Amino acid sequence: MSDKALQILISDDSILARKQLKDVIIKQLPDVQFVEAANGQEAIDKFKETKPDMVFLDIVMPIKDGIEATKGIMEIDNKADIIIVSSVGTKMQLKSAIEAGARDFIQKPMNPSQVISVLESHLGGK
Amino acid sequence: MYAQFFGSYLLNREAVSPEDLTAAITLLADTHIKLGTLAMHMGYMTASEVDEVCFLQTREDKKFGEIALRRNYLFESQLDELLKAQIPDYLLLGQTLVDMGCLTNSDLEELMVSYQSECQLSEEGDGYETQSITTKLLTNFFKQSGAEISEYAIMYMNLIFNNLIRFIGEDFTPLTPVFCEEYDTNCCVRQSISGAINCISRIDMSEDVALAFASRYAKMEFADYDEYVEASLEDFLNLHNGLYSVNMSNLYSEELTLEPPVREEAPTLALEEGSFVIPVIYPFGTVYLLLSMKEAD
Repeated sequence: MSDKALQILISDDSILARKQLKDVIIKQLPDVQFVEAANGQEAIDKFKETKPDMVFLDIVMPIKDGIEATKGIMEIDNKADIIIVSSVGTKMQLKSAIEAGARDFIQKPMNPSQVISVLESHLGGK
Repeated sequence: MYAQFFGSYLLNREAVSPEDLTAAITLLADTHIKLGTLAMHMGYMTASEVDEVCFLQTREDKKFGEIALRRNYLFESQLDELLKAQIPDYLLLGQTLVDMGCLTNSDLEELMVSYQSECQLSEEGDGYETQSITTKLLTNFFKQSGAEISEYAIMYMNLIFNNLIRFIGEDFTPLTPVFCEEYDTNCCVRQSISGAINCISRIDMSEDVALAFASRYAKMEFADYDEYVEASLEDFLNLHNGLYSVNMSNLYSEELTLEPPVREEAPTLALEEGSFVIPVIYPFGTVYLLLSMKEAD
């Protein structure tokens, strides 16, 4: 994996969940720059503003949930690399996320090795 | 979960005090099962026979099994079986309380038999946990408060106790559920669920307890109550409810909608009809689980 500085947007209403995800990612990508959002609307706004290389979205968030945020981001850039990170991993939610444009899913409680595997497969060429 | 509910039963029977139970739970990790406790549990020896062998062990340097064989309290085949047996976790709790002097072997023998009988566990065999046993434990647990509980609520409570074991630790005892209409909050977070069921779930605890709870959950040390501690409480509830919604979808094809968790700001809550509170005692303090659940019309 290239160690070129990348920008990753993490959107979760939990400051703890954002920190835990950042802690895992930074071990793999020490030079990464993080952009954070605490709700789905903020995620769309920050995406528009910063155009990050990758986006991690929780599903259950205030104002706009992760599925709505995925749709909003895809309207801005239909090649956006969006990963859903959620405990609500029902088949219906996964279907909605994929239909909205999400590329991958990580089930909470988060397994760091799964995050690393997702980073490698999605950022391998960047 | 046998140990957790056996602890609750002991408290209800006033066989032990909450302080002694908490101390025993704290010691559990370092406790190893004794052959005599297991022999009593399997019905191979009585409490008085176990006491006699233990007494003889103070007079001669022999193992428990050797003396029990010599006194004809055990057959060789039974001793072999005991040595190979898996240990139900509640036995360790009982034995720890005996070691602490809170119970005698006779007390423990009587309490084990009556508990199994009240929970209708005797026909299930030896007390090792299966789904049906857990359901019986929970049903009996709620019966103590005089309440009937729905299948969905049993599933909810089963999962939350398992998640407490998984994410916070197994060293707890739930107390009998209390139905109430009003509740004074400390550090309280709420999450609502809608769909086939309408549910309002909350967890509440004092700031000191929240620090310990969050430290265990997030695997970080917290010294002050801050946004990370509050987020830990919300995360635990959100994670639990998320996993519950996955189970509801997989088992019943019911899709639930979760609202984001929020902090309860009001010092006193007027609770929804049918709400109950379950105090859960950990060595670091008491966590209160609050739930109201109704099946949608």
